[in-house]
Amino acid sequence: MTMTESPPANDTASAVPAPVVAGLYDALTTTDHKSIGRLWLRAGMVLLVGAVVLGVLLGFERVDSESTDLFGGDNAFFQVWALYRLGLALLVAAPLFIGIATVVVPMQVGSTNIAFPRAAHAAVWAFIIGAGITIAAVLANGGWGAVDRVSNEEREAIALSIVGLAMVVLSLLLASICIATTVVSMRVKGMTLLRVPLFAWSMLVATSVWLLTLPVLLANMLIAYVDIHNGPGSFGGDLSGDLGAYAQIAWVVEQPQVYAFAIPVLGVLGSIVPVAAGVRAARHGLSMGLIGVFGLLSVGAWAQPFFQPTNNAVVRYDEKFVFIAFGLAAILPVLGALGGAADSLVRGRGVQGVPPAHLLGALGGGLLLLAGTAAGVARVIEPFELGDRVTVAGVMSLVLFAAVASAIGAIWFWSPKVCGHELSPVAGRGAVMLVVLGGLVVGASQVINGFFETANNPLVAPTEDAGDVLNTVALVGMIVIALGAVGALATLLNAMRTGGAGTADDPWGGQTLEWSTATPPPPGNFAEPPALVTSEAPLLDVSSDEGEES
Amino acid sequence: MFTTGFKFFFGIGVALVTAGVLYGYTSGGNHMGPLSLGWKGGVGEHLGYGLLVGTGVSAIGIALTLIFFRDADPADQADYMGVDDIAPTTPVTSSFWPVVGAFGVGTMAIGLVLNTAVFITGLVIVGAVAVEWMMDAWADRATGDPEANRALRNRIMAPIEIPAAGAAAVALGVLAVSRILLNTTKLGAVVIAGVVAVLILGLGTLAASDRKFNRNLIAGGALVVGVAVLGGGVWAAVDGEREFEEHHSEHGDDAEHSDDAEHSDEGSDGDHSDGETDSE
Repeated sequence: MTMTESPPANDTASAVPAPVVAGLYDALTTTDHKSIGRLWLRAGMVLLVGAVVLGVLLGFERVDSESTDLFGGDNAFFQVWALYRLGLALLVAAPLFIGIATVVVPMQVGSTNIAFPRAAHAAVWAFIIGAGITIAAVLANGGWGAVDRVSNEEREAIALSIVGLAMVVLSLLLASICIATTVVSMRVKGMTLLRVPLFAWSMLVATSVWLLTLPVLLANMLIAYVDIHNGPGSFGGDLSGDLGAYAQIAWVVEQPQVYAFAIPVLGVLGSIVPVAAGVRAARHGLSMGLIGVFGLLSVGAWAQPFFQPTNNAVVRYDEKFVFIAFGLAAILPVLGALGGAADSLVRGRGVQGVPPAHLLGALGGGLLLLAGTAAGVARVIEPFELGDRVTVAGVMSLVLFAAVASAIGAIWFWSPKVCGHELSPVAGRGAVMLVVLGGLVVGASQVINGFFETANNPLVAPTEDAGDVLNTVALVGMIVIALGAVGALATLLNAMRTGGAGTADDPWGGQTLEWSTATPPPPGNFAEPPALVTSEAPLLDVSSDEGEES
Repeated sequence: MFTTGFKFFFGIGVALVTAGVLYGYTSGGNHMGPLSLGWKGGVGEHLGYGLLVGTGVSAIGIALTLIFFRDADPADQADYMGVDDIAPTTPVTSSFWPVVGAFGVGTMAIGLVLNTAVFITGLVIVGAVAVEWMMDAWADRATGDPEANRALRNRIMAPIEIPAAGAAAVALGVLAVSRILLNTTKLGAVVIAGVVAVLILGLGTLAASDRKFNRNLIAGGALVVGVAVLGGGVWAAVDGEREFEEHHSEHGDDAEHSDDAEHSDEGSDGDHSDGETDSE
C-alpha cells in the first residue's frame, strides 16, 4: 500500500511582500545569514558562467589540437586551462553549496542566525576579492606556472595567482567553520545530531572534510610561492615545464579529493526526493552513514603525485592499495543514496506530470555523481592505465557538474526562502536538464577519450583521430552547459532583483523546519520558537499529532 | 552513550589512521615503522603516510571534543546549566568591519607580492578591524538592550574612531588628489582642484542640513567617490608626474621655478633657452 504523509496545512501565501533584493548598504554591512548566502550564490553563479565560457573557449582550442592560436600560445592556454579546472571546484561548486547552506542550514536546525555571522560576512567578501585577484593575475599572464621558462614579467603575476587562490581557500575555510558550527552547536531543542536534516548533515560532513584537507592545499601553495619568490628549486619546483605549480595542487580536482565538493549532492538528494514523493524517508540514520562514508572516501590530500619519489623502482601512489580501495569504494555510498531516493519515489505518491526542476536537479546530480564515481572505478583499475589520461578530467567534469546541477536544483527548491518566491519552473527545468545533459556529454567523452590514450596534459595532442572527434563532442557538451548556466544565472539574478509575491510559505509540503518559517523569512527566521523536535521530519510529526487530535 | 558526532568523526579518524598504516606498508614501510610513526622501522612514502595519519588523528581529536560536549545538544546544555531552555543567540548588529577586514586581507595579499608598503597598509587595516571587531562583539553582549549596547560602544570608540578616520581620510584624499594634480596638465589641475573644492563644500552643506538620505545612496556615493579618488591617485602615481622644467633666473642664481612642459613650449624664447629639462 502506498503511504504518503503531508505536513500541516501551511500553504497560505505570506502577507508580507516578497523581498526585493537589499541594497548596497545591506550587502556591505549585513549580519543576516540569508543576505550573506545570497551574496555567495550571486558570486558562485556569475563565476559558473565565467568558468563554462572558459570551458567553451578551451574546447574550441582542443578541437584543433595542433596549435594554440586562440589563446596566443601554449603558456596562455595552459594558464586558462588550469584556472578553469581549479575554478570549477573552488570558485563555483564549493561557493554554490556554501551559499545554499548559509541560507538554509540555520533554518533547518531551528536557529535564528548562522554561527559567527560577521565572520561569515567577511568570508564572502574575502572570497569575492580573492577570486578577483586570482582572475586578474591570470589575465596578466599569471596562473600556476609557465610551460616554458618563467620570465620576470610572469613571476609577479604567478605569485599573485597563488596568493589570490590562497585567499579564496581561506575564505572557504572560514565559511566552513561558520556552517559546521551552526549544525553542531545551534540546533533547536530536541534536534539531536541524529535528527539533523540530510542537507545540513551533508554540509557538516563536507565542511569537515574541507577543513581537514584544504589546509594542505594552502601548504602546497605556500611551497609554490616560496619557489616563485625565492627562485627556482627552493622546494624542488621551478614552476616551469610539465604543468608548473599546477602539478603541485592538481590533486584538489582529482579523485578522491574532487568527491569532497560533491558531498552535498547526496544531502540535496536526501532532502528533496522524499518531499517530492510526499513520504518520510526510510532509514534516516543509514542515509547519514552513507554520506559520512562518502565524506571519508573523499579525503584525498594525501594522494599528491608531485611529491612522489621519482625513483622508478617505487610504485606509483595510484597503484597502491589504499588509493585503489578508495576509488573502488566511493561508488557504494552513491548507489546507496540513489537506492534510498528510488525507495522514497516507489513508496510515495510518485511524480505526477512534469517533474519539478528541483527533483530533476537532485536526481540528475545524483546520477551524474554515480557516473563520476563509476568513471573513478575505471580510473583505478590498473590494466586500463588511465592515470595520466584525460579520463582524470572526465571524473572531475562528471563530479563537479553533478555538484552544479544539484546546486541549481537546490536553489530552485529553496527559492521561497532564498529569493522570497518560487523561481520559474520552466527556466529551472531547462537549466537543470542542460547542465545534466551537457555534463554527461563532456564527462563521458573525456572518460572514453582516455581509452584512446589521450593525455591529461592539454598540450599533448591526441595520438588517434578519435581523440579529436571526442574533443569536438566535449565542446558541444560544454556549449550546452553554458546555455543552462546562463539561463539559471539570468533567472536567479532577475528574481533577486525584482522579488515576487503570493508564494506559499511551504509550497512543496516540506518536512523540515525551514518550511515552518514565513516566505520570505523574517529577521530571526521564526516568529515563534520551533516546537520540540522529536524526529528528523518535525513537520510530519506535527501533522500526525494534528491528525490524532482531530 | 556515544554521540552521533563522536561516532562520525571517530569512525573517520580510525579509518584514516588504518589507511595510513596500510599505505605505509604498501609504499615501502617495514618492521613496526608505520605502526610506531617511524620509531621502529620505515614508514614508506612519508607525505601520504603523514597526511593520512595526521588527518585521522585530527578527526579523532574532534570526536573527543564532541563527546566531551555531548555534541552540544541543546537539552544537555540546558541540563548542565540548570535551566529549562538555553537562551536564543544574541542578535549581532550590522557592521562594515567584515568588509573592511576582507579588503585589508586583499591589500595584504597584493602587497605581499608587489610592494611592502601596500602589505603594511593592509596589515594596519586588518589590525584596526581586529580591534573594532572585538569591541563590537563585546558591545553586542554588554547588556540586554541593543540601543544601550550601541551607545556604550560609541561612547568608548567614537572618540578614537572619528579623529582617526578623519585623519586617514584627509591624508589619503590629499595624497591621492595631489598625485592627480601633479599628473594632469596645468589647466586640468585647476579644473580638478575646483571640482574637489565644490564637492567638499557641497557635501559639507548637505551634512550640515537636517535632510535624511537613503543609506544606499550614501554608501554608493561614498564608494564611487572613494574608488575614483583612490583609483585616480594610484593610477596617477604609477603613471608619474607631468614633465617639469627647471628655470634659472637671468642673474644666474639658483632660484628655481616649476612650470609644466606645455607652458615652456609655448614660451620658448630666450629666457628659457638654457633651461634643463628634467623628467621627474
